[in-house]
Amino acid sequence: MKTLVLSTTIALLLLSGTYLQAQTAKEIAYKVYNRKAPKNGESDMTMTLINKKGNKRVRNLHQFFIDLGSIEKQIMFFTAPADVKNTSFMNWTYDEADKEDDQWLYLPALMKVKRISSSSKDNDFMGSDFTYEDMEKRSPERDNQILIGSENLNGESHWVIEATPKEEGQYAKRKVWVSKSKSIPSKIEFYDEGNELLKVLTITETQLIKGYWVVVKQEMKNVQKNHKTVISLMNIKVESGITEEKFTQREMERGL
Amino acid sequence: MKKITELVLKNSKLTLFLILIGTAASIYSIVSNFALETNLDTYMPKDHPAFVYSDKAEEIFDIRDAIMIAIENKDGIYNTATFQKIKDLTKEIQQLDVVEDKDDVLSLYTADNIKGSEEGLEIKAFYKRVPKSKDQFDEIENGVVSNEMVYKRIVSEDGTSTLIFTKIKEDSFTEELYYEILAIAGKYEGDGDKIYVAGQPIVEGTMAILMPSDMKKMFPVVLLLIVVVLFIVLRSLKATIISMIVVIFSSIWTFGLMLGVGIPVYAPSSLIPVMLIAIGVADTIHLFSHLQLMIQKHPNWSKEQLITNMTTEMFMPVMMTSVTTSVGFLSLLTSDILPIKYFAAFTAFGVMMAMFFSLVLIPAAITVLGLPSAPKKKEGEEDDFFAKHAKGFANGIVKQRKLVIGATLLVIIFFGIGMSKVWINSSFLERFPDDDPLVTTDAFVNANFLGTTTINVILEADQVDKFKNPEALELIDKVALEVQNNNAIVGGGLSVVDFIKRMNKVLHEDREEYYSVPNDQDLIAQYFLLYEMSGGSDRLWDVVSDDFKTANLQFQLKGDNSIGLNGAIESIEKYRNQFKDIGIELNFAGSGYKVLVFNDLILVGQVKSLAYSFLIVIVLLSLMFRSFKLGLIGTIPIFITTIISFGVLGWLNIPLETTTALISSIAIGIGIDYAVHFIDRYKINALASQNIEETVGETMAHSGRAISFNAVVVILGFLILTFSAFKPNIAMGAIVSLNMLTSFIATVTLMFMILYTSKYFFKNKSKNK
Repeated sequence: MKTLVLSTTIALLLLSGTYLQAQTAKEIAYKVYNRKAPKNGESDMTMTLINKKGNKRVRNLHQFFIDLGSIEKQIMFFTAPADVKNTSFMNWTYDEADKEDDQWLYLPALMKVKRISSSSKDNDFMGSDFTYEDMEKRSPERDNQILIGSENLNGESHWVIEATPKEEGQYAKRKVWVSKSKSIPSKIEFYDEGNELLKVLTITETQLIKGYWVVVKQEMKNVQKNHKTVISLMNIKVESGITEEKFTQREMERGL
Repeated sequence: MKKITELVLKNSKLTLFLILIGTAASIYSIVSNFALETNLDTYMPKDHPAFVYSDKAEEIFDIRDAIMIAIENKDGIYNTATFQKIKDLTKEIQQLDVVEDKDDVLSLYTADNIKGSEEGLEIKAFYKRVPKSKDQFDEIENGVVSNEMVYKRIVSEDGTSTLIFTKIKEDSFTEELYYEILAIAGKYEGDGDKIYVAGQPIVEGTMAILMPSDMKKMFPVVLLLIVVVLFIVLRSLKATIISMIVVIFSSIWTFGLMLGVGIPVYAPSSLIPVMLIAIGVADTIHLFSHLQLMIQKHPNWSKEQLITNMTTEMFMPVMMTSVTTSVGFLSLLTSDILPIKYFAAFTAFGVMMAMFFSLVLIPAAITVLGLPSAPKKKEGEEDDFFAKHAKGFANGIVKQRKLVIGATLLVIIFFGIGMSKVWINSSFLERFPDDDPLVTTDAFVNANFLGTTTINVILEADQVDKFKNPEALELIDKVALEVQNNNAIVGGGLSVVDFIKRMNKVLHEDREEYYSVPNDQDLIAQYFLLYEMSGGSDRLWDVVSDDFKTANLQFQLKGDNSIGLNGAIESIEKYRNQFKDIGIELNFAGSGYKVLVFNDLILVGQVKSLAYSFLIVIVLLSLMFRSFKLGLIGTIPIFITTIISFGVLGWLNIPLETTTALISSIAIGIGIDYAVHFIDRYKINALASQNIEETVGETMAHSGRAISFNAVVVILGFLILTFSAFKPNIAMGAIVSLNMLTSFIATVTLMFMILYTSKYFFKNKSKNK
């Protein structure tokens, strides 16, 4: 898994890129994939899980991330609810395609760091509607893209691309709306093996911070289970000088 | 009545024609609107608190009954071939249209194996690729045996069988699905593997299909037998055929109307023809029997005279019996259950139709077809059997008054005790024959696993996160263990506590002493977080809501017998106050519980309505005979019949279930008929002759004859049902036959004797002897 969430924002840009005209779908996808992204940063994060009855579960975290080239590392500290306060989660993602992520969870009540066995990429992240894979960058080489057309979404012009994986994966296809001006997807539809709509990701707020487009608020809705997850970021700092030393088990135990 | 009869006689062909048109219209209505309602959920009263609650809980926890497929290999399941089958079968079942989500199929292939790893928690499948080596199998076997959430639940204790649980979409069970699953399962048999298919959806679904189909097979035989016996007693083909037409037409019109107004056939409605045959035949027999006696008595009367005499003399009793019987059935309208209300209303309608056809169709048919033959008096024989023996029998009864009363008291006491032994069984499974594959499969699963029936105990707390609290979890753990230990029928439980205990243990190097609830709410919360982060499946949400405010403690029971279910519920109820003390409300949910409540509702409704019917019948009879005392006397046969009917159930250990309970209403229908005909005839004779001896003899010869004909015909017809495959249908045959017999005996012995002793209708109350 890549540096979570903040880079998710970027990760979500997975497939697209914008040229103003006459671009191939693949080019658009590369444009998104190769976007300029911050090398490190931190933010507060709120993850809200909303079930079909509208009941909400809210988790507050503070996260740090760093991109070291071949490895991306991320560490998150829970600040609420109270019973999981100071629990921390660390994730290392490797560039090598077949190398699984390393993940650890520190349980303050047990005063121990526990390793989480490398989860399958199609597992849900923290019980949310995002899977680990949803939060990662996806190389455009793994899909075949078709440019369906151009569409207006919230008054902004978007490319609409359909991406079908070359190897069977957790989705049969994705339909991505890429903002022509920002090179970020604004909406992604995920289709299941039966080619039925499974989930819809909507980017509801983006901010330009130090020259980077950052997704500040996004919502993933599982339309089949009628369950959704909203992730929003606050107090975002990018390129704030966080170093590799922050991402260790000792730091997990130390807390914020 | 005379005028109506005249009208009918003048326009007999037109009358028959109109009736035929009506019948044709009814048949058309039946054919074009036919709909059988087999979905049990539609039977339940939706607004009843228990159902409202259960439906809500079922939605929160995705509570659905599972189809269970067991794979058995006597040499043990831990081999490549069997594991391949588990995997393939799981995948094939997941592809079925009725399976919504792959997670709805739980097997050794899809189950979560929560275990500890060197540094942490691992939640993985037991296997993805089918293992080949013995070492791999040994490892899996160790994993299964040491996993409390899987061992005995998914894999049998001895390791020779394993289960695949499949939750199907609501209301999606069909006969075709059952055969499809059987066919799929069948493909995997062989090489030492045996496959069993069981589970509540199959039992319920099959019952809904089997019961009417068994009835469809048996009913023509019942009709045929009734025709034969009717012919033997009436000794007239014409009378027999006309009787059958009356009975069949009243059923056709009833179903025509019911389906025509858009009401489908619910299971209780399938009893309507049974009721109408037993009750309708009574009307026609009394009419034909009267007609035959008059033909014998007045050989020179014209056809018109005979018919008019029949309808005028028999109008009152036929009308009275039909009205009282109908009103008796209408008392079932007080039931909470819609299908029972339909049953009541349409049986009442059918009874009135039988009356209408008896009084209109019979005269019209006789006019057109000619008089039925009457048994000829043989040379040297003065009277027929009944005339000859009636007086002797009547005198015998009168002389043996003390014996009759004594016998009655003994009967009441004996069967009264029997009544107290009557028990209610809502079990579906126990309605099938003992050697039915469903029963043996169910027994296999119950013997090797935790059980095929589930009770859900829904625990609702006053605040969120309650079910992370050690105190609350400890109590659930205690209840789960104690209920399982104190009830042999309870195979095991599953709750949020099992997840906690399992995680606590595996995170402490699998040490047994950690198989417990940790005494730290934060730690518990962090375990759940760890579970979610480690890719634990949504199956956790089947036992606790995501805000940890509501929990679902499931118990698996070995069988759906009401005694077992009630026993388990009672022992769970004992903890209600302990839960209340810590702010937790306890309730029940799930289909097993709903069926239990549903059956209680039916039975309580049935008993209530029987009591109402008694009161109504007493009032109606008192009004009709203009005497409260006669009203009371008239209910004697019903009273005795009801006691004996339930008493026999008690003594023979036949449980009350919906069919048995409903069919006992027939006691009222039949009991009233006999009593009214008898009293009415007695009254006519008494007022005419003022001689009690003559009255007694005449009444026995007239009504006694018709009543015994009626009893013999229906008893012989319905006894055949005791050869049915379906236990409720057997019980129905036995109960109908028994009720006919006891009504008959009670009428001609006890009721007659009391009537005789009361000297009713005789102005001169001194003995005429």
